[in-house]
Amino acid sequence: MNDRLERLAAVVRADVLIRLRRPSTAVIFLLLSIVPYKWIPEVSTGRTLIEIGGHRALYNSAAIGMGTAVLATFFIGLAGFYVISNALRRDVLTRCGYVIASTTMRGSEYIAGKFAGNVAFLTLFVSGYMAVAMIMVIVRGEAPLEPLVFAKQYLLLLPPPIVFVSAIALLFECTPLLRTKLGDVVYFFVWIGLMGSVTAMVDNGVARSWTPYLDISGLGFMLQQTKIFYHAKSLAIGASRFDPAKPPFVFEGFRADSLQWLVPRIVATLWPMALLLPARLFFHRFDPARVRAVPNEQTRRTWLGRFNLLANPFARLAGQLGRAAAAIPGLPHLLRAAIIDALASLSAFPLTMVAMLGIAIAATTVPEQALFAAVLPLAFAACALALADIACREKRAGTTALVYAAPTLRTHFVGWKFASTLLVAAAFLAIPVAKAIALRPASAASLLIGVLFTAAAATTLGILSANPKTFIVAFLTFWYIALSDHGRTPSLDFGGWYAKATPSITLTYAAFAAGLLLLAQLFHTWELRRSW
Amino acid sequence: MLRIESVSKRFRSGNFGVRDLSLSCGGGVLGLLGSNGAGKTTLMQMIATVTRPTAGRIFFQDVDITANPDALRRRLGYLPQDFGVYDNLTAYEFLSYFAALKGVRSRAKIQQMLEMVNLHNSAGRAVGGFSGGMKQRLGIAQALIYDPDLVIVDEPTAGLDPEERVRFRNVLAELGAAKLVILSTHIVSDIESIATQIAIMRRGSLVALDTPEALIRDSGAASLEAAFLHVINQEPLPVAAGAVA
Repeated sequence: MNDRLERLAAVVRADVLIRLRRPSTAVIFLLLSIVPYKWIPEVSTGRTLIEIGGHRALYNSAAIGMGTAVLATFFIGLAGFYVISNALRRDVLTRCGYVIASTTMRGSEYIAGKFAGNVAFLTLFVSGYMAVAMIMVIVRGEAPLEPLVFAKQYLLLLPPPIVFVSAIALLFECTPLLRTKLGDVVYFFVWIGLMGSVTAMVDNGVARSWTPYLDISGLGFMLQQTKIFYHAKSLAIGASRFDPAKPPFVFEGFRADSLQWLVPRIVATLWPMALLLPARLFFHRFDPARVRAVPNEQTRRTWLGRFNLLANPFARLAGQLGRAAAAIPGLPHLLRAAIIDALASLSAFPLTMVAMLGIAIAATTVPEQALFAAVLPLAFAACALALADIACREKRAGTTALVYAAPTLRTHFVGWKFASTLLVAAAFLAIPVAKAIALRPASAASLLIGVLFTAAAATTLGILSANPKTFIVAFLTFWYIALSDHGRTPSLDFGGWYAKATPSITLTYAAFAAGLLLLAQLFHTWELRRSW
Repeated sequence: MLRIESVSKRFRSGNFGVRDLSLSCGGGVLGLLGSNGAGKTTLMQMIATVTRPTAGRIFFQDVDITANPDALRRRLGYLPQDFGVYDNLTAYEFLSYFAALKGVRSRAKIQQMLEMVNLHNSAGRAVGGFSGGMKQRLGIAQALIYDPDLVIVDEPTAGLDPEERVRFRNVLAELGAAKLVILSTHIVSDIESIATQIAIMRRGSLVALDTPEALIRDSGAASLEAAFLHVINQEPLPVAAGAVA
């Protein structure tokens, strides 16, 4: 092997090992492996994996393979990006990047190595998941397991999203503005937009000649095959209702017997690699004049950072309020600490205070319909971004020992973080929620429980994963599903935006919030015993 | 061996990290002293070809490394300040990774370096569980794995216990006998005994460059630490192009 290949292999190997050995990888893998159990229900429940026109597909290797491959596509497209989007940042933070920059390794070699590392990790992850998913054919199958048929569904769906996510994650990491929290949000909408628009265009036959090549998620490919081979206009996947009176049909899997089907999938796998060119162009090669081990939003090097610094008067105000809160006599220690922590969160990123102000003004000026349909959902999304790193800030900054040295914070860490998260959430949502309650008093409970649920989820996911991206991706995905549903499914109306949540649904969300906090407390107690 | 000609580094903010600095030196151990923000790290990063000077040139063995950085990179060992590790790799895997990046394929060499920094008994352990000193020793091992001609180490003894500090000082002194070692530190005693030359920086400029004995003698101080304090509290000395063989 020549030197370049040796270096490339070393980067790939190190990246894969680092990620595979992370405890969070095992947790995510286990969680993802459990989903097929619900995704492929017992036929006796009246639900099935694939439903076309009321008919259910027989549980064979092709059907279960396709159903679980679609699930893997969703996972790679959404969570995959956040799982792998720290390949460069790790080298910046550890300063190993400086050593890499002082070797003869070319920037393009490094980018190629990181890309190959991303692809290798995601491929390994999906292969493991596929092996576990095959068990579902044994558990629920109505036909024998055919591993090659099963794997074929994955081969036709997964390569484009794996390559796309691996490449775009690097592009985002290399690009100054996109390597911030803003990039995490932008990516979410890029993926949702790409998936939705291409699927719709492929399905409707608009610009048919080129859209299949952009069909990264493979959903358009799937819908087209369904339309042509099963003469169906719609298809439901995953725990869908079917008509038991109609006979089941045999799904034979995706067809790839002609170039018409194969070429678009191959092209959709290859073109995302072009994203590596701008990534290489923007790559800083760890030059300290271009990148530093501090968040971009806190430097003058990015537009976001500059806007943020312009908002510094708000930060000073938050600092003064924090000092005033600390001086209030008789205030319980934990509440005092929570107020200070919440204000510190706001002053660390003063633009959030500008956003809060904007939301408050919008909430007071827009009519009722716009408040519920637009301002409240947007306020929840903006609030989620501000809440994401409150519970994991100490672990990421290495100041946990400092915090644990303060009275009561060691044992009441979860309560403290939940209180400060709730305070920041209240600062964001108090005015829109208050106006919403005034307009629709019946929605008061669901609106308030929605705020509690959001704060509890941010606290728990922050504590469990020590990574703000976990909450951002989980919440935004849930938020997007709820928003797209427009209140048709009452159980998704967690924030009371559509006035569809029944008391039992609201109570369920309250129970979820309590359960999440309990989980965080159990994890914290276990961690204290293990490491502190 | 190393010649720096009127090098400056100006950041986008307009601040200078290093301003019009010139020096030249042969082999031995060059100790770099200065207060926080004096520009030591920026100077070392420029020599290590991690960042480019905004003005001036740097030569190593008469090759302009600002124009041809690879000429130095093939012979450089660099340990940055606050060096971190990949927590989930073992010490052996971590060192193998950097060995591969530097074109070192010999397993025996990796083992030898682990023994040199006294980590051979922990080679199979994940480095996330290492103490600060152990991580620093691993960083030192990766810097030296290449048999470099130029070794640049930025605050290398931070986190090491006294025994390890002495051990590491001896390694650097041995290396300095045949090669050039540039060592930056706040701990004056770390370089007092091994440095053949000492450069003192203040606000991005070189304010003194001499042997430890000459610095002590010229400042009239009783120790190198006192001489350092004496120098940085004075107006800049006229060191236009200090040269020590």
